Amino acid sequence: MTPSLPDILVGNFLCIADPPPPESAGEFMAGKVGVVALLSLLAAQEAERGLSARVWENAALRAVLAEAASTYGAVFAEAGEETDTDFTLSALDRANAALRRSLIALHEAVEAAGDTARDHAILRLYGKMADARRLDMPPLPGR
Amino acid sequence: MTLAERLEIYLTRHFGAPTAIEGLSRIPGGASRETYRFDAIVGGEVRPLILRRDPTGSLIDTDRSLEYLAFQSFHGRAPVPEPIVLDTEGAELERPFFIMTRVDGGAAASPFTVQPYHEHAQAIGEAFFAALGAIAATDPAGLPLATATQAPAPGDCWRVALDHWAKVIDTDEQHPQPIVRAAIRRLRRAPPPAATAVRVVHGDYRTGNFLHDGQGKILAILDWEMVHLGDPLEDLAWAIDPLWGHYDEGRVAGMIPRAEALAIWTKASGLPVDPEALAWWELFSAVKGQAIWTSAAREYRQGGFKDPILAISGWYTARRHDQILADKLMRLEGLS
Repeated sequence: MTPSLPDILVGNFLCIADPPPPESAGEFMAGKVGVVALLSLLAAQEAERGLSARVWENAALRAVLAEAASTYGAVFAEAGEETDTDFTLSALDRANAALRRSLIALHEAVEAAGDTARDHAILRLYGKMADARRLDMPPLPGR
Repeated sequence: MTLAERLEIYLTRHFGAPTAIEGLSRIPGGASRETYRFDAIVGGEVRPLILRRDPTGSLIDTDRSLEYLAFQSFHGRAPVPEPIVLDTEGAELERPFFIMTRVDGGAAASPFTVQPYHEHAQAIGEAFFAALGAIAATDPAGLPLATATQAPAPGDCWRVALDHWAKVIDTDEQHPQPIVRAAIRRLRRAPPPAATAVRVVHGDYRTGNFLHDGQGKILAILDWEMVHLGDPLEDLAWAIDPLWGHYDEGRVAGMIPRAEALAIWTKASGLPVDPEALAWWELFSAVKGQAIWTSAAREYRQGGFKDPILAISGWYTARRHDQILADKLMRLEGLS
């Protein structure tokens, strides 16, 4: 996914490292620091859950692709036959990008075939994927 | 030369009188333009103003001329600040900009907060959806905006809007997004009925894009940078998207119950709300949101990771809209 956790954390440093021009030093900078603080808080969630979410999603996508291969073609089996051996975020995201491209192609084929059962299974998978990647905003009081 | 000094030179020429700038300060409002508040002292008279200047990178690539024309079109018709001057070349300020009157004494809610309108949520909600209905009731013919915008045929509104945002995703996507792709395909497979009227669409009408006085009154409707002509249900669906709900499942926009919002909009606009059409535009809203956040993620990277607004848009809001999209897709199939 983009931006990645390292992007966010490096960005949090970079966006406050440079001194602002005088006209941006007050309310704007205060707002910026507030957003950086919020990003840091969300980054803590991603640090805790991001790796397992990617490992789970990659495995789930491989299973769906492999299961569909007998009906929709060996290309989907081939897309899902790798396994994750490098557990860095960047390596898992690279594998995930390839798997997601295959999932998109599979879903298009499923829709074209009118395969409702498999279509619904993919939609349910989307729900689980989105939930696994979620970031939970704390209840910030309105002012 | 500081920005204040440049602004003094420009406004002295514009007003034809010596102008001093006081209190120039950038404010957080507006993710697609740099926004500054200042006082211009012109011939001893204090004029409270806002400068909106094009950024070096932004959340949304928009036409500042259209935004300016929108202010011209609705100032006096709705709570909209008076536009003062537009300079598409940038002059002394280096980048294109426009200046408008400043509305003091108001606040804009952050979409990430809970219950921002407190005990005034009902009053704000009534005013919010009535104002949107009033915009939708306005015949665009004769508005300054009509001189620069093409009106799509009623039956083409959905296609024009969907093609635009699908292309944004095609152009800016850095990581494959199967959920939004599925939503785009569904929208194309089952288009909505033709628009009952082609009207001005604000484009980003939502909580957080207006100033309120803390007592239940809307002071100014802002952020018209995505204005265009189209199906007015586009604005209504965007305004009630769950992303803007302040985590309140019982009320839309964190203000009032959905049925009440739709009834207020219908009364003010004089237009019907076709449930089938609205359902289409609601799914479209989540696609449009995801397109905006996809661009934000790209801009965040291309801009050297220096704008945290782009970061939170390309990251947190993108993931929330994936959840919203997945939920809507399942509901449309009766799966949840």
